[in-house]
Amino acid sequence: MLDVGPIALAIAWVLAIYAIVMSLVGALRQQRDFITSAEHAALAVWGLTVIAVADLLLALVTHDFNIEYVAHYSSSTLPLNYTVAALWGGQAGSLLFWLLILTSMTAIVVMQNRYKNRELMPYVNATLMLTALFFLSMLLFVTPPFERLAFTPGEGQDLNPLLQNYWMTIHPPALYTGFVGCSIPFAFGMAALATGRLDDVWIRTTRRWTLLAWFFLSLGNLFGAEWAYRVLGWGGYWAWDPVENAAFMPWLTCTAFLHSVMIQEKKNMLKVWNMVLVILTFLLTIFGTFLTRSGVISSVHSFTQSGLGPFFIGFLGIMATMAIGLLVWRLPQLKSENELDSILSREATFLLNNLILVGIAFAVFWGTIFPVISEAVRGIKITVGPPFFNRVNAPLGLILLFLTGVGPVIAWRRASASSLKRSFLWPTVLGVGGGFAMILAGIGHYYAVLSFSICIFVGATIAAEFYRGVRARQAMIGENVFAALAHLMGKNRRRYGGYVVHIGIVMMYLAITGTSAFRVEQLNTVSPGESFDVGNYKLRYDKVEAWENEHAAHMAANIAVLKDGKQIDTLKPEKRFYKKPEQPTTEVAIRSTFGTDLYLVLGSYDDATKKATIQAYINPLVGFLGWGGIVLAIGTFITIWPARTPHPAAAYAPSRGERMASE
Amino acid sequence: MNRKARFFVAGLALVGAVAYLMYTGVSQTSVYYLTIGEFITKKEGLANEGVRVAGRVALGSVRKNMTPNGEELNFRIGDFQGNDSPDQPTVPVHYVGVVPDMFKAAGGSDVIIEGKYRDGTLQAQNVLTSCPSKYEAKAAGEAAAK
Repeated sequence: MLDVGPIALAIAWVLAIYAIVMSLVGALRQQRDFITSAEHAALAVWGLTVIAVADLLLALVTHDFNIEYVAHYSSSTLPLNYTVAALWGGQAGSLLFWLLILTSMTAIVVMQNRYKNRELMPYVNATLMLTALFFLSMLLFVTPPFERLAFTPGEGQDLNPLLQNYWMTIHPPALYTGFVGCSIPFAFGMAALATGRLDDVWIRTTRRWTLLAWFFLSLGNLFGAEWAYRVLGWGGYWAWDPVENAAFMPWLTCTAFLHSVMIQEKKNMLKVWNMVLVILTFLLTIFGTFLTRSGVISSVHSFTQSGLGPFFIGFLGIMATMAIGLLVWRLPQLKSENELDSILSREATFLLNNLILVGIAFAVFWGTIFPVISEAVRGIKITVGPPFFNRVNAPLGLILLFLTGVGPVIAWRRASASSLKRSFLWPTVLGVGGGFAMILAGIGHYYAVLSFSICIFVGATIAAEFYRGVRARQAMIGENVFAALAHLMGKNRRRYGGYVVHIGIVMMYLAITGTSAFRVEQLNTVSPGESFDVGNYKLRYDKVEAWENEHAAHMAANIAVLKDGKQIDTLKPEKRFYKKPEQPTTEVAIRSTFGTDLYLVLGSYDDATKKATIQAYINPLVGFLGWGGIVLAIGTFITIWPARTPHPAAAYAPSRGERMASE
Repeated sequence: MNRKARFFVAGLALVGAVAYLMYTGVSQTSVYYLTIGEFITKKEGLANEGVRVAGRVALGSVRKNMTPNGEELNFRIGDFQGNDSPDQPTVPVHYVGVVPDMFKAAGGSDVIIEGKYRDGTLQAQNVLTSCPSKYEAKAAGEAAAK
């Protein structure tokens, strides 16, 4: 039988090289037809990747177990949605999926810019195709997804039960889309350096791409956290595992980039810094893919075995050398046109926000690769765990939260005492007052009090911005509150969308603070009928029920939840024994009230004595993590939505100058 | 110039603060990560230090017991990579808590023990079983070696 997939990949590999060469030659010799031909090749690479993905999907759906990948990651009884998700369940498939997203985005960029940015496009195309070439080479020579077995097994080994989960179905696509999305601004940045078009065209062109990438990175991280929380059953959602850090680091630098490009757009500053950030973000997405796929951190020794490791490091090295080389070459032309005037200015606040985000990224990076470094330098492997990350990042994170309130509101150039007072007096009073109230109320966890106080402060600055904007419109145009609010946001999407995103971030801080400071954890072994207290709840263990189907055997403890002596719920944490592959899993039971979760795990069960070990957690405010995510998503949509060309008067929102004048 | 110097000092202070946080973080929270083979040769020097030890549970060595604070596990870990000889040196491990799903009662699981070595026993705070498919690279490498 003719294998379509590998042939498509092989042709795509050749065409990717063709696209790189023709782009570069065309750009250097000013040959337009070369450049166009290279763009057609990029579209063809996309088409061929689609064919390869379709071929692998077909093999999965039709259970062609002769293909090793299919036999390894699916089975004939696996539900269809997970069969499709098996496409990104294993190494080769996830790299192919990465390639699909990359080439799809490349195709969109090529189509969008057929008549625009013609000077930049050949280098954009070459950069993206070089990245595609790397992944194609992996797929052809290192981890081929279409490898056939010498025999055809009657049944597949099935997808790991831990991955048979809704959140795990959507987590990798979101994260990969975020990862790959970062290569678009990177490619435009490289093109800007290569052509010397160093104004902010590359930044304006990729603004939406960057936001989109950031949006998916955020979602990817949140989905992963949600998965860990609901599936892994240890009561938390974030463990500073290398794989989590891999996804978190590019998010940090991408967030920094999103903020610092605003300074370049408005003030023509930070040009070098923006290049550094976009390069860093791109390299971290590749590094992240490498970390999740190679296991280099779990053991340095697996690094050489995996086959992927040296290639990834090589590719990272090549891209870093090229990017930094271009940057250094253009350094003289990247001089800022403005200087920082005062520490009390928006420019300085944004810069500080950037330094802290990058500082956190560096600390996370250091902690993640520390075992590798210590083994290489001292010959003994030393690991740092969650305590390290929490210690370092908690203070930095709180400063960052504070800046979330200050940055968007403080005046440009130099904030006067009166403008500071106007913007921050009441939020500060509320934040500090709230803090004292919490201490008086007996909350003794000062870190948490500080965090909540800053949350109040930030929330108040944002609320005040909305209030002022609505009032100004009402005064100017005479709209009612809702119309004023809708128009205010509609006509100034970027600014107010940003505020909404910040509200989402504040909500997540509430969740992180609540769970880090006030989490209750209790482990009890109980006989049927016995009960124990957790927080305000009394939990009574009634019985264990067991049942079985073709997929798995289930064993669920029935736990009555009592509050003030009355039963309010029954929770059924479960143990499951999957039959194929034979693997036990833990299914947690969660009861959420106002964002606070009662979280139960069935630790073990002894059939002879009927005793069960129940692990109970109370996770205060954890629900705000997800709600914050939803608010963040809404805010991003407001920001990203294309605005109709605004009528100058209709776009009215008080600028700082006007506000000052009106007072 | 004066202004520039001020910004420079501010930046330096920030970098210093991050460096300080990281330095103290590492020195106060780091633990040694050893394979069981390395641990056996160095264990006396590591008494009462935080360690992570990777090894394999000896077949038939697992004793389980339900206690009010969770399940109590006593077992031994050794190297056992490609060699099931029972004469291999092992270290006893003691743990109370929730037993991870992938921990086999018969023994043979690959585990990472987090805890401290005290009075000849690894007192585990945490028993981690290596995740079967998250890092498949190693398994692929092993398969290729066969």
